[in-house]
Amino acid sequence: MSAGKEGRALSILRDVFLANVRVIKNNFRPKCIYVAVMLRRMMEAILNKDAMDDKDYVGNKRLELSGQLISLLFEDLFKTMISEVQKQADNVLSKRSRSSQLDLSMLLVKDSITLGLERALSTGNWDVKRFRMHRKGMTQVLQRLSFIATLGHVTRILPQFEKSRKVSGPRALQPSQWGMLCPCDTPEGEACGLVKNLALMTHVTTDQEEGPLISLCYCLGVEDLELLSGEELHTPNSFLIIFNGLILGKHRRPQRFASTMRKLRRIGRIGEFVSVFVNEKQRCVYIASDGGRVCRPLVIADKGISRIKEHHMKGLLDGARTFDDFLREGLVEYLDVNEENNALIALYEQDATPETTHIEIEPFTILGVCAGLIPFPHHNQSPRNTYQCAMGKQAMGNIAYNQLLRMDTLLYLLVYPQRPLLTTRTIELVGYDKLGAGQNATVAVMSYSGYDIEDAIVMNKSSLDRGFGRCIVMKKHSAVNQKYENGTSDRILRPPRKDDRNKKGENPDWERMQILDNDGIAAPGEIIRPNDVYINKESPIMTKGSLKMVALKDSDYKPSRQTYKGAEGESCVVDRVTLCSDKNNNLSIKFMIRHTRRPEVGDKFSSRHGQKGVCGTIVQQEDFPFSERGICPDLIMNPHGFPSRMTVGKMIELLGGKAGVSCGRFHYGSAFGEPSGHADRVEAISETLVKHGFSYNGKDFLYSGITGCPLQAYIFMGPIYYQKLKHMVLDKMHARGSGPRVMLTRQPTEGRARNGGLRVGEMERDCLIAYGASMLIYERLMLSSDPFEVQVCRACGLLGYYNYKLKTGICSSCKNGDNISTMKLPYACKLLIQELQSMNIVPRLRLADS
Amino acid sequence: MANRESYTYPSNSGFGNDAMQGVSSAGVTVSYICGECASKVALSKNDPIRCSSCGHRVLYKERTKRMVQFEAR
Amino acid sequence: MSDSEPEAMAEADGVPSTKLPPHLELRRTRVLCKVDAPDNTDTIQYSGAYASLGHENSLRFADFCKDFRVDITRISDDDMELDMVGVDPSIANAFRRILLAELPTMAIEKVLIANNTSVVQDEVLAHRLGLIPIKVDPRLFDYLSENDTPNEKNTIVFKLHVRCEERGQRLTVKSNELMWLPKGSEFLKTSESLTSTSKPETYTSFTCSQDSMPEFAGNPIRVYPDIIISKLGFGQEIELEAHAVKGVGKTHAKWSPVATCWYRMLPEVELMEEIEGEKADVLKQKCPAKVFEIEDLADGRKRATVARPRACTLCRECIRDGEDWEKRISLRRVKNHFIFTIESTGALPPEVLFTEAVKILEDKCERVISDLS
Repeated sequence: MSAGKEGRALSILRDVFLANVRVIKNNFRPKCIYVAVMLRRMMEAILNKDAMDDKDYVGNKRLELSGQLISLLFEDLFKTMISEVQKQADNVLSKRSRSSQLDLSMLLVKDSITLGLERALSTGNWDVKRFRMHRKGMTQVLQRLSFIATLGHVTRILPQFEKSRKVSGPRALQPSQWGMLCPCDTPEGEACGLVKNLALMTHVTTDQEEGPLISLCYCLGVEDLELLSGEELHTPNSFLIIFNGLILGKHRRPQRFASTMRKLRRIGRIGEFVSVFVNEKQRCVYIASDGGRVCRPLVIADKGISRIKEHHMKGLLDGARTFDDFLREGLVEYLDVNEENNALIALYEQDATPETTHIEIEPFTILGVCAGLIPFPHHNQSPRNTYQCAMGKQAMGNIAYNQLLRMDTLLYLLVYPQRPLLTTRTIELVGYDKLGAGQNATVAVMSYSGYDIEDAIVMNKSSLDRGFGRCIVMKKHSAVNQKYENGTSDRILRPPRKDDRNKKGENPDWERMQILDNDGIAAPGEIIRPNDVYINKESPIMTKGSLKMVALKDSDYKPSRQTYKGAEGESCVVDRVTLCSDKNNNLSIKFMIRHTRRPEVGDKFSSRHGQKGVCGTIVQQEDFPFSERGICPDLIMNPHGFPSRMTVGKMIELLGGKAGVSCGRFHYGSAFGEPSGHADRVEAISETLVKHGFSYNGKDFLYSGITGCPLQAYIFMGPIYYQKLKHMVLDKMHARGSGPRVMLTRQPTEGRARNGGLRVGEMERDCLIAYGASMLIYERLMLSSDPFEVQVCRACGLLGYYNYKLKTGICSSCKNGDNISTMKLPYACKLLIQELQSMNIVPRLRLADS
Repeated sequence: MANRESYTYPSNSGFGNDAMQGVSSAGVTVSYICGECASKVALSKNDPIRCSSCGHRVLYKERTKRMVQFEAR
Repeated sequence: MSDSEPEAMAEADGVPSTKLPPHLELRRTRVLCKVDAPDNTDTIQYSGAYASLGHENSLRFADFCKDFRVDITRISDDDMELDMVGVDPSIANAFRRILLAELPTMAIEKVLIANNTSVVQDEVLAHRLGLIPIKVDPRLFDYLSENDTPNEKNTIVFKLHVRCEERGQRLTVKSNELMWLPKGSEFLKTSESLTSTSKPETYTSFTCSQDSMPEFAGNPIRVYPDIIISKLGFGQEIELEAHAVKGVGKTHAKWSPVATCWYRMLPEVELMEEIEGEKADVLKQKCPAKVFEIEDLADGRKRATVARPRACTLCRECIRDGEDWEKRISLRRVKNHFIFTIESTGALPPEVLFTEAVKILEDKCERVISDLS
């Protein structure tokens, strides 16, 4: 027995403990050295707090991409399939009598790998037996709300561990995130700081071959671990060489070793994503070639002088050179987070000192795609940039160039999209200027009408008449011609027309089927109203049972028409109808129904600086103030939105937009772009404004549209890019007097779709208690919800029933009606009492005289 | 994959709510537009959903022939 | 520019009135545009405002007749700039509001689409058609209310039928493809009863053709020609009929007869102290609207003068750089002198628009008077 236990312990030590260090022919020495190094580090950490590793350091993190995940899944499914075959084969072979030869291919379960992959992709649950992994939420449906929503979704990084609320370490902004992950793009609320997005130039590495690199290291002078003793390993001037977490040996001239490796990388002899990092404190050189590291390109500088010269840039502009050429020629290289620690990186070329080793390509690339939309983000308070990152994904605009051909479930389009007057370099790189998601509105920042309190916006009715903010909402409805087990299937019929009469001489329903074409399917271009039939389908009554070969008669079908359920008063148009076949070769028909909406009071708008607001009122153009040049604003924004929010970027956007409109050139507002010319300076913008006759600060002299006299202040007016967000009042407005109830508890249903009621929750109950409004609580929580009259027996305390013939209540346990009282209980309470009774608990009600 | 020749309607027992004596189903052809080559494809009932010229399997319906009225606002 | 002599008037009216001292006169008639905010923007309407000084501030008809004048500075087919002197801002504003919102025009209201296979959706196409200006005198037409049938007195019918035949080229549909149908609608209504009259019904009931009317005889109704309605690819087609009716801008902006119409008060720039030599050069440089000029004095010195005060756009560059510049120059607006600009969309020439606006204001006053008496 001890031999068995010993064997097991040995196998655990060999295979499970420190599994990354191989034990070849029972040579445990590398593993021992590894454990020793670990202990050494632990002791150093105990003695010196600074030597502790930061758990949230981005250099220690790896990103799992889809290839890795799918390969794990495939491996698992393949092994499962093989083991199934093995089991089946064993079964067959163990039988005595075998008639036919063993054909393994017959034992393979058909499509097991396909089905397994499909199931994992559709549910998002990854179950890998080898690692005992049961992860949920690994796949998400790609958001198609707007173009930036799609880009933002595909560059998202989700953490593995759950939203642990207490610990604030993982949620904080890491300095090591610089350039790799966007600092402002993170959702608000539960997942704040955990869900991150990639920056613009981030690259995620993939695994590279280790063998050649290891032999290269040995060639360059790494002394093999096998040949060294413990004391030799830790001599003061020699550094350990660690390759992908494995200790290779030591090297006496680590700086030279590192620079040689880097030189080889720059000329292309080793892969460009291999990183070499010398850690002085730990006295190690880390070489990494594994996958999942984030890295980004930087310009190489020799003693402060950039390797990229004028002729290189000229070649790039002409198109003769590409980025890959730069990489190959050793002008630009990829650094990951660890190696960045060994480099001294200058932001701009003019700031380079002789010690500088690298120069940033562009500082605005530290931001991601969503934050790149914001003009002058470096002039805004940082939470405002974060809010904009969240709202830019909800803005309505264009999805893709083929958006009119796609049949998406929900599609929001802007009728007249525009590109921003104040762009950033990111916008041009990403292509947002081709698929804009907003309009340049002339905005006056002033108080007007009193309907602009708490961030509400006052809109110009004539601008709305001319098409400002119009959007198209397209929803998909689908119908499938089901085929049933007994060979029958649904059918679609020609609709009855006005003059048709059936056998009985009647003609019901022709009015609701006017939009149907001759094939029974609604034709595009027709206006569809609530309760109109859009497909005249019939289903067979008998769907189960034996295969029927006989043709069915009319009477074997029942109508299963699909009608359009929309809000009253909304007139929608059928946009497109597609006929195709689905997975099981059934005819599938998809309808896109579009509704063009004009902005109304309650629709949500936002600028690009986290300043969201709802349309407060719509005012005629004559009542709006006008400037000396006759310009009337489209939108009036309340100036109280500026002081506490400090979004100075919005003010500069207005100036830049005004200057752009006057001089005819798009202005730029990239992050940190003033020194490099990617953002226009405020002084230059002001000069342009003055040249065209405006005031340098963007404030105009306006006349009141109502009285005709001039306004008593100069008003800040100019174009700002406003986005229309997808929250529209038409989708949210809901009211209920009385309506459907949940069957179980007889309480009103929940949710707008089910015509539900609004909940008076626990916190609202607490407020009512604070007022002492006990009758109100009684009304809200019982009389308006689920009052129920019960007969209670005073003797036994149980619920009785009411006998209609005798017209009294009877108690079932006491068998008489002498002690019955009637009282009103909430039905949920009666339900609770009965549920407890079913569990053998006796809840008795003891009544007192009221 | 199996039968592309899709759904088979049970044949002629008339249309909509046991009406229309004497009008056969085979006569009703509706023309659709192919998704890829944009050519017109005339299909009647029981035809497989496929473009006759390019073999594409997604067809769009043509716009209605009836007149629709809109407000220019 | 400044106020008239009140003494002669006063005697004629029998009410004694003294002239106001200059600083009060400034307050009464000028808006002072200072660096941080304009001052004096309201008109002083109370008749007894200067009673303690003996000045009568009420508005007298004789004064008005004497002071009021309208001068047209610039006029063309499409726009007009005129100076209106001697009115209160509220009257000028009334004209502006009437021009924007209450002058009727013809614009497309109903669009009957027979076929639209272009990428522009039906409602968007209809919206765009509604905004196209129609060059016809709206005074020749009546309003169409809900119960009326559309006939030649209240509807204009246009037809648009385009199809792109060329492969590989996009066809741009401009508004000049809209054809006027003087005989009314050509689309037939699907008739209700089979035993109808011999003539099938269309969507309008014109009794006679519109080009038989004298106004349109040699003068077909056109729309503004150059507006892009849609773009068509190969095989795409638009076939529709658009019915235009009369309406006012208050209902929808498409019925506004002016592209825009606005006024500004006459600028007045005064140098509070002599600006000579280098400072004069600096001043001339600062102003982007070239309001200031250098005048050479006899003894070789240079002096700055106000050459074109009317061009001042109130950029306030001249008073920007500190207190000393602020006290040297006074930017002002004259409260009763308005420079009106009217840009017409083509339906009516701008001077007719203005006279129509006057008529509407007259009607409104008549209504008030008749309702009050």
